[in-house]
Amino acid sequence: MNVRSVAVDRVVDRFPAVRRIWTARAVGHRLLPLAIPLIVLIAWQCAASLRLLPVQILPPPLLVATTAIDLIRGGEIVDGLRVSLWRIGIGFAIGAGSGLVLGALLGLSRTVEAYCGLTFRLLAQIPSLGWLPILLLIFGLDETLKFVLIAKASFVPTVIATSESVKQIPAPFREVARVLQLPARSYLRRLVLPATIPGIFSGLRTALSHAWIALIVVEMLAATEGVGYTMVWGRTLFQIDIVIVGMVVIGLIGLAMDTGLARIEQRLQHWEARP
Amino acid sequence: MDKITRRSFTAGAAALLAAGTVAPAATDTPDTIRFGAFGAGFGQPYGVATFGVAQAKDFIANEFKDTPVKLEWTYLAGTGPAVNEGIANGRIDFAQYGALPNVIGRANGLPTRVLLNYGPTTIFGAARKGLPIHSIKDLKGRKVTFQKGTILHWAFLRALQANGLSAKDLTVVDLKTADQLAALAAGSVDASIGSSSVLSLREKGIVDIFYTSKDIGLKATGFGGILVTDQFREKYPDATRRVVTGLLKAVAWIGDEANRDEALRIWSKSGTPYEALQEEFHGQSLKEAFNPLVDEFLLAQFQDVVDFSKSEKLIRSDIDVKEWVLAAPIHEALASLKLEKFWTPRHADGSPKA
Repeated sequence: MNVRSVAVDRVVDRFPAVRRIWTARAVGHRLLPLAIPLIVLIAWQCAASLRLLPVQILPPPLLVATTAIDLIRGGEIVDGLRVSLWRIGIGFAIGAGSGLVLGALLGLSRTVEAYCGLTFRLLAQIPSLGWLPILLLIFGLDETLKFVLIAKASFVPTVIATSESVKQIPAPFREVARVLQLPARSYLRRLVLPATIPGIFSGLRTALSHAWIALIVVEMLAATEGVGYTMVWGRTLFQIDIVIVGMVVIGLIGLAMDTGLARIEQRLQHWEARP
Repeated sequence: MDKITRRSFTAGAAALLAAGTVAPAATDTPDTIRFGAFGAGFGQPYGVATFGVAQAKDFIANEFKDTPVKLEWTYLAGTGPAVNEGIANGRIDFAQYGALPNVIGRANGLPTRVLLNYGPTTIFGAARKGLPIHSIKDLKGRKVTFQKGTILHWAFLRALQANGLSAKDLTVVDLKTADQLAALAAGSVDASIGSSSVLSLREKGIVDIFYTSKDIGLKATGFGGILVTDQFREKYPDATRRVVTGLLKAVAWIGDEANRDEALRIWSKSGTPYEALQEEFHGQSLKEAFNPLVDEFLLAQFQDVVDFSKSEKLIRSDIDVKEWVLAAPIHEALASLKLEKFWTPRHADGSPKA
């Protein structure tokens, strides 16, 4: 199905160069997503100027910007991000990697589904943070704790998305493949991958956002470095501007990671659609 | 339900506005006085030190007997930083919390004044059972946990200093009390620094106590102020006077050795075991320990915390301690209670003035 949509896209977009002309209207359209952030920023500035909230609770945007520059120059942001991204890199690789494997097995094999389906669905119900108290006792505060929690947070959505996508490969396609006696490699490459990539990738994007949430929360509760900890420290010092800088950084990094995954997904689809 | 017409809406809005502008001027006693303090970390609606006794023995309530004023007591599990937030969003009028968060709040512009000293918090050091840690000096190269940004932070680093060490000689792990237990149990840290609440870990057989701030004395003992917001003080001078009087009566009651056992029982309602409190104050004169005076010693201690906060980069702006404390209310209250001679003022180094 996605094969067709890509094809249709190509037919409609016969003159890709035409699309790149920057008319005023096109530029305006591209700026639309910035409208709400801009409104929020103006409202924030107004609220701060009118002192609707004490400055200790709602610092003006300029102070937050200054703090952001200080934190970037002082290296706190970079150090925090390095730690946080390292944690999410390892945790997500483990969680999503094993999630893909289990998800594919659950989708392809009824035996695996019969053995593991119930247990998996049961464990999936317990939120990642519900594991924290006991994991804290087992692993202490070391990096292992963060890896395990992030891996768990990204594992569940990946498994669900992968197994569902595999199960939803249309039955006629499978039958055709069987009739043609496609070898396993071609079966995977020509049928399973193209049919499942959109589903799996939307699962991976969910997984990454869950992982990011788990990371920030575990850093706020049980860590001594990382972006989440920087925010807690800002709260302790009663410097809410640091907390807000942390929120902005978390938002931007999360957005960047999500966009990155979406780009990869597009690339893969084009690759699969190539005749 | 009636439809809201434009006229009724305007009338309602006008009434609201009128009520909003007239109400404060109509009376100079508040409806409620909100007291906020650090909790012992057990989520109990009872506190320790001066507030704990003032609440339990109705010392402040009795000062307002002839008025309809209500008193509200809140003990925040988030300790000092949470008290600062409470003051900032106008939910606390009087606050009892540690000097370090006192200073952090003030440096960030909280409109508060220090009225009196709330009392001491003895600091204990607990090491994982079986480790060869018998004194502060043995912490060199070890992983030590405590909650940064609280008075423990200041008191512990001063204790290190007194032993020729600094925070650089060990790894500091910033954790809340409940997580410290988990970290100790899992072996992630070697020692924890806390108030008498860590003594219960010893009863559970997890740790050995290797240090108490009594070893060093007042220079490494936790302390803090009882603060009032400018808003409340300026609007309700009479109520402020009554509160200070009630607080001083409470401190004087604590200072009477005949009440020691009852005081410990009141404080144990906060969740800290009675036995732990007994040990914390063992061999100490409660009258001396709970000296509320705004004297040279208290000023010097606050100045030390300010200097510490600056050198540790906890605050961005300086504080003038002399301008921050407000000694007039306590002096008036001492005179009206005829307690001028009850407590001895101290020199900056803590020695009593003859």
